[in-house]
Amino acid sequence: MGVRDEQKQATREKVLEAARDLFNETGYDETTIRAIAERAGVSVGSVFTTFASKAEVLSHVMERRLGDLYAEFDRVLPFLRGSTADRLSSIFAIHYEFETRRVKLFLAHIAASYNPSNDPGVTPYGRNERLTRMLREVLEGGVQRGDVRADLDVQVMVDTLKAAYAWNYRIAAARGAGAAELSAVMDKQIAFIAEGWRPR
Amino acid sequence: MSFVSLNIESPADAPVKLTRRALAKQRTRERVLAAARRLFTERGYEGATIRDIAQAAGMSTGAVFASFADKSELFDEILTADYEVIYAQMKQAGQNAASVDEGVIGMFAVAYGFHVEQLPLLQASIAVSWTRSETAERRNRGHVKYIFKLLADVLERGVERGELKAGVDVKLLAEIIWDVYVANYRRAIFDAWTVEALLARFAEQLKVILAGARA
Repeated sequence: MGVRDEQKQATREKVLEAARDLFNETGYDETTIRAIAERAGVSVGSVFTTFASKAEVLSHVMERRLGDLYAEFDRVLPFLRGSTADRLSSIFAIHYEFETRRVKLFLAHIAASYNPSNDPGVTPYGRNERLTRMLREVLEGGVQRGDVRADLDVQVMVDTLKAAYAWNYRIAAARGAGAAELSAVMDKQIAFIAEGWRPR
Repeated sequence: MSFVSLNIESPADAPVKLTRRALAKQRTRERVLAAARRLFTERGYEGATIRDIAQAAGMSTGAVFASFADKSELFDEILTADYEVIYAQMKQAGQNAASVDEGVIGMFAVAYGFHVEQLPLLQASIAVSWTRSETAERRNRGHVKYIFKLLADVLERGVERGELKAGVDVKLLAEIIWDVYVANYRRAIFDAWTVEALLARFAEQLKVILAGARA
């Protein structure tokens, strides 16, 4: 890497860190690019040479966070035990635990994905392939373990679980519910749905 | 998310003869609402300021504030009006159905049909719902109750008919159905799915959700 690239990389890191904290402390809408530059100790111009928009900054903040989360999963996944429902509960519990650490940031990410002005540099919330793949694997593993019926439409089930998972953040948005409460609600939903995928 | 207003089931008030002043005030409100609907649709919630809305309605910012306390109240009024339009149809679809599947799908077919026609406004309303103030959140939580009631009624009739198990947790079931209903709008927004495609997917989801609850 040349000196220039290194500098650019350092600016990027500083901007993403400053933005992550500001979005979570003061809110996404309330945070300006100027405030991000100030906190990061860089010029407003250099933020704009690195990112096209605030939406893109948010998108990259979230992408980097997910990197951390999935590093955690790579360690944990091989140790998952129990029924398919138990395994799914664990996967969602880890997500809730992780995202509620900076819940305002995460809610802003969901909200931003519905904003009409999404530019091409933005990966909106909901396009998380890792989560989709993990859920697929657990359900398909369930067919092999024998606690999920073989004719289950796995993709429809994955969509359904993801919808329930995401919408449960409403109780975090509405009254600041924490990870434990979100996981408890999700567990009930999983147990209910699991009734329907039992082999019979 | 937008939901139904609290006064939906109340009997119509006796017609009141409006004074000229009251009439003028009502016309102002309607003008503001029409301009606001257009701007929210074009620019999203954050993108449309009260000043823009006033200008589009051809009046002063002060005149807008005389009718609405703030932007979120203005926005909620638009959403409430929309839900009032479709609530009666949703109710009818739910009540006339012969099975749970038919009732639930019928209800949400009405909603998908309506909202897919005006996706930008729906997008704005969902975006706002994730970060709204506590007052606005409380106002809206009252609204959602009415849709849930319709859904729960359809499910309970299913229990009475012996379609669903007797001890089924209707509230939990209604919540899961609601989750997938709303989440599916992402397909319309990002992948340009039609109402028919949304309904086909929703019907499949409903099947897997209800699988464990069927008697």
